Amino acid sequence: MSDTVSASAAIPLRLRIRDGDGYAEFRVEAEPHRTVLDLLERLRSGGSAVPAYRHSCHHGSCGTCGAVIDGVEALMCLTRAADLAAPRPRLPGGPAVPPERDEAGAVIVTLEPLSKMTVVSGIAVVPGPVFAGIPKGASYLRPASADGRASLPPDPAEAVADPGAWRPDGRVRFEACIECGLCVSACPVAVPFIGPAALAAVNREREKRPEQVSAMVAIAAAPDGVGPCGRHLACSRVCPQAVFPGKHIQLLRNALASLA
Amino acid sequence: MFDPPLAPANGVRVCVIGGGGTGAALAYDLCLRGFSVTLLEKGELTSGTTGRHHGQLHSGARYAVGDRAIARECMEETLILRRIAPDAVEYNGGVFVALSDDEADYAPVFTAACVESGIPAREVTLAEARAWEPAINPAARRAVWVPDGAFDAFRVPLAFFAAARRLGAVIRPFVEAVGFDLTGGRVRAVFARPCGSTRDERIECDYVVSATGAWAGAVGRLAGLDVPITPAPGTMVAVRGRVSDMVVSRLAPPGDGDIIVPQRGLSIIGTTQRVVDDPDGILPNDDDVAFLLGRADELCPGFSKRPIHAVWAAARPLAGRAAGVGRSISRDFMVLDHAAPGSPPGSSGMATLIGGKATVLRAMAEKAADHVCMALGVDEVCRTRDYVLPPWREYYSEGNYAEGATLGGRR
Ligand SMILES: Cc1cc2nc3c(=O)[nH]c(=O)nc-3n(C[C@H](O)[C@H](O)[C@H](O)COP(=O)(O)OP(=O)(O)OC[C@H]3O[C@@H](n4cnc5c(N)ncnc54)[C@H](O)[C@@H]3O)c2cc1C
Ligand code: SF4
Ligand code: FES
Repeated sequence: MSDTVSASAAIPLRLRIRDGDGYAEFRVEAEPHRTVLDLLERLRSGGSAVPAYRHSCHHGSCGTCGAVIDGVEALMCLTRAADLAAPRPRLPGGPAVPPERDEAGAVIVTLEPLSKMTVVSGIAVVPGPVFAGIPKGASYLRPASADGRASLPPDPAEAVADPGAWRPDGRVRFEACIECGLCVSACPVAVPFIGPAALAAVNREREKRPEQVSAMVAIAAAPDGVGPCGRHLACSRVCPQAVFPGKHIQLLRNALASLA
Repeated sequence: MFDPPLAPANGVRVCVIGGGGTGAALAYDLCLRGFSVTLLEKGELTSGTTGRHHGQLHSGARYAVGDRAIARECMEETLILRRIAPDAVEYNGGVFVALSDDEADYAPVFTAACVESGIPAREVTLAEARAWEPAINPAARRAVWVPDGAFDAFRVPLAFFAAARRLGAVIRPFVEAVGFDLTGGRVRAVFARPCGSTRDERIECDYVVSATGAWAGAVGRLAGLDVPITPAPGTMVAVRGRVSDMVVSRLAPPGDGDIIVPQRGLSIIGTTQRVVDDPDGILPNDDDVAFLLGRADELCPGFSKRPIHAVWAAARPLAGRAAGVGRSISRDFMVLDHAAPGSPPGSSGMATLIGGKATVLRAMAEKAADHVCMALGVDEVCRTRDYVLPPWREYYSEGNYAEGATLGGRR
């Protein structure tokens, strides 16, 4: 993206956005570094009736702006016009194919809501299935490696910390998973299944907190746990955060096997 | 376990307009005090300024020289938020670094102001600071440790929304307030339009609080009010990887491009400031990117060599009307009561809550809820400090949301 601020030619796009049974269509000229979300925001503020969409952080942190963009789940805030004009896969892990263009040469871009979720309006969904299977109280902090750095000064708030809350010692960071549900939408499993995002969280909890191991293993062993996963790996391919949920599912299988 | 004792329901209906952090905390506070709350947000929750902020949980150090009261409040609120939303805060502390002679001279002034504001800042040697975070510029002159942190701009408010909904608030994203019934010079109802619908609903209420941030001017106009708000967008640039775990700031009076907030797998430099008329659809200024990366390199050399992850902008809701650049307008917040001149406060049935920082969302809500109580003669105190909030995931995972029932949309 560092090259994008240079003056590159605008890219003509035809955005087709799912709206109920049909599509709302907009023709835009996009600077290569503008994101799909930027373009929707610009259209909306310009008075166009853009179908509803979710967004919050605009930098790939909140996980709200997922959509199926030309057949592949992606975050709208991290997908740039330049990406849309370049060859891309049309299904998770598929071969890159050149963009489809209309008769005037504009790149045709189709935005669909994430699947498996209830549509509120337009491409805005309720992400219930992403969150429903994540264990209540699964910790979102993880220890960060000091990498040879000195330990941090004592925390002046130690005295007020909630004694019930689990917090790793030392440096902390948030878990990589932003709960965007791209993996859940892309997963082809069609039987009851708590899904890749939940299982990734289950495995992280198992790895971080010894006292949670048996509870987490029980979730993985349940009929809707790791069993239904068919190792399609669509989850790992679409994940914007390199969580690789498929890897976590495998680690849970290994843990189950070692306990059997 | 989130199970706070509830004040008896008082039957008083309050409509909160705006689903940012301020509206979230206000809905929760009002529910705890026994009100019947409906919150309207025209987009997804936190899709205004809140979700896009820089992510700094301000200890108040940045504001201490300018305003001890604001700084003290930030310090108190960081401790409260860390207690009630522990999983949505990356607390690793922060360092202010002086790069020039002037900045080096500022260190004792800065540290003294922090200590006077109740912020346990202390000067450390550069060697110590660089032992914590080797990314800090080795040419820095002085360093001061402060209890800053990073927080998740989306997940902290969502935890408040989860709490509010658990206590009975009706939270309605994708529903826009489009007008008011002002019969008899007092707000009687809000007209609300669900996204994708052409039919307005009438939401009867006894009081309205507009917590619409940079949009407060526009929402005020719907009620025929003049709300002095200036939308002032700033740009942020996120690069991949963490330059540090601590927040790294410039030891100088607040300016542009002077804070690096690390968060999850990113390092974010911000911000800039300009003034606009319309807070909708603001995009980052391309010129800001090179400027911000240059400033980041001064704090942590090599910052700009990292791949850029995202560039975005968010609009500050600055109180007052600015000519030129807006940074001198106070960052403090205010509750504007819209009573006609000569009429008692509360008589218009509406107030606007503006300004502030995401760090002080709970305190802003407390002041606004106190005002609602005063206006409506309800005698209940604030208790939002007292309970650990439910996990934010509950907002989407509970009840009919998980099964995918409507959020007030047309289905
Ligand atoms: C660049 C930048 C960086 C910042 N960094 C930090 C930081 O690091 N730390 C910090 O503590 N603070 C920071 N802030 C400040 C903080 O982001 C804001 O003070 C805070 O988010 C304001 O929250 P709010 O809920 O009042 O407003 P908003 O989040 O803007 O909420 C108002 C909501 O009202 C909605 N709305 C508008 N009109 C209507 C209508 N008619 N009907 C229904 N809904 C409507 C909007 O969609 C919006 O979601 C930063 C601000 C900016 C601009
Ligand atoms: S595992 Fe990846 S794709 Fe799935 S919810 Fe988490 S971040 Fe999103
Ligand atoms: S808007 Fe937050 S991930 Fe895209």
